Amino acid sequence: MSDSQGQHGGGHVSDRYSRQTLFAGIGPEGQRRLASASVAIIGCGAMGSALANNLARAGIGRLRVVDRDFVEVNNLQRQTLYDEADAASATPKAVAAANRLRAVNSAVEIEPVVSDFTADNALDLLDGVDLALDGTDNFEARYLLNDACLKMGIPWIYSGVIAAYGVSMTVQPHATACLRCAFPERPLPGTTPTCDTAGILNGIVAAIGGVTSTEALKLLVGSEQLARGLFWMDLWENIAERIELPRQPDCPACGLGEYEYLDAALSEETATLCGRNAVQVRPLQRGGALDLAELGRRLAPLGEVATNEYLLRAKLDGYEVTVFPDARAIIKGTDEPSVARTVYARYIGS
Amino acid sequence: MQVRIRYFAALREAVGEAEEALDLPDGATVAQARGLLAERRPALAKLLPACAAAVNRGYAQAETPLSDGAELVFIPPLGGG
Ligand SMILES: [Zn+2]
Repeated sequence: MSDSQGQHGGGHVSDRYSRQTLFAGIGPEGQRRLASASVAIIGCGAMGSALANNLARAGIGRLRVVDRDFVEVNNLQRQTLYDEADAASATPKAVAAANRLRAVNSAVEIEPVVSDFTADNALDLLDGVDLALDGTDNFEARYLLNDACLKMGIPWIYSGVIAAYGVSMTVQPHATACLRCAFPERPLPGTTPTCDTAGILNGIVAAIGGVTSTEALKLLVGSEQLARGLFWMDLWENIAERIELPRQPDCPACGLGEYEYLDAALSEETATLCGRNAVQVRPLQRGGALDLAELGRRLAPLGEVATNEYLLRAKLDGYEVTVFPDARAIIKGTDEPSVARTVYARYIGS
Repeated sequence: MQVRIRYFAALREAVGEAEEALDLPDGATVAQARGLLAERRPALAKLLPACAAAVNRGYAQAETPLSDGAELVFIPPLGGG
């Protein structure tokens, strides 16, 4: 517990959190536990925004916010940490989230990470945290998160939302069912609806965000009231239910200890981004950091180029190409991986 | 016997209803109910394999037997965030 909490927390700590510590389930001791806790939020779109916002306001000690994307205008309907200025300047979401969260609660240590969550870096990104929260928009990342958390013994909470529907499920490694106990095989890209195809209401994000962030508080204060099983909700049909979910002895991950998503070499070079006409290209082999200024000079004769501290943005051949220092690029204007790979090879190189 | 089938998310949208009654032979299992539904409603055939099933709000295996009046809900993995 740091003495500095009261100093730069914008007032005395007991005043700041009084409406939370008055609740017996938290209390002053629970608040101290929250202040010494460390949480990773993997993905900071709609769900990640809701979770990070609730946890920062609740006084969690440290938040690591990991996101690979930048803010766009069509995010603002539901991604509550961001505003029009973030979209206009194409600020990476992790950076914009950190700016906002620090303004909300300066006592929380925020660590923004502009990066994909991959088998290469998953263990590092989860290092030292007490809990991981799923703010991702794809199953590739979730099955990896499940493997990594099981291997490291870190609890995590699955949150999924689409249209007016949502689910939340707390995974305590080797104590409760894991993601693969419920859904043994990872749904392949294109087989499940995305925000692109089915849309999403901001109310379901807030509802599931509230369920999940409250589970997070229970877990961090050591409450016995943790929810078991899979919570599901249909906000349009007015349904909220929970199913019991026992561990499955033949679960490949928590039963048999096969962490195939974590152990896999990076196999996918491209990912279609949820809610966008865009594809991310992630070169499988990369050297050091890309020199964005040099790339900008090379591309300048070919189209409109702008760079900021975090990324390069170029309008090329009808596509909007955004390149990050880690050599990832987001190609907007197509949802075809092959087209995106071609654009990448043509302008950035392979 | 008759069971109450409930649909959630993509299944609910594919069927257009939140639930329906399904007649099954006595002693039918969750797998048999899945099979029959996939046959009757082609829109469900692609969605059902990825779904978790719960009988009377408890997770059910393929071989879990159903009883008259049971409630069977299919929950697809939700991908958005
Ligand atoms: Zn498992």
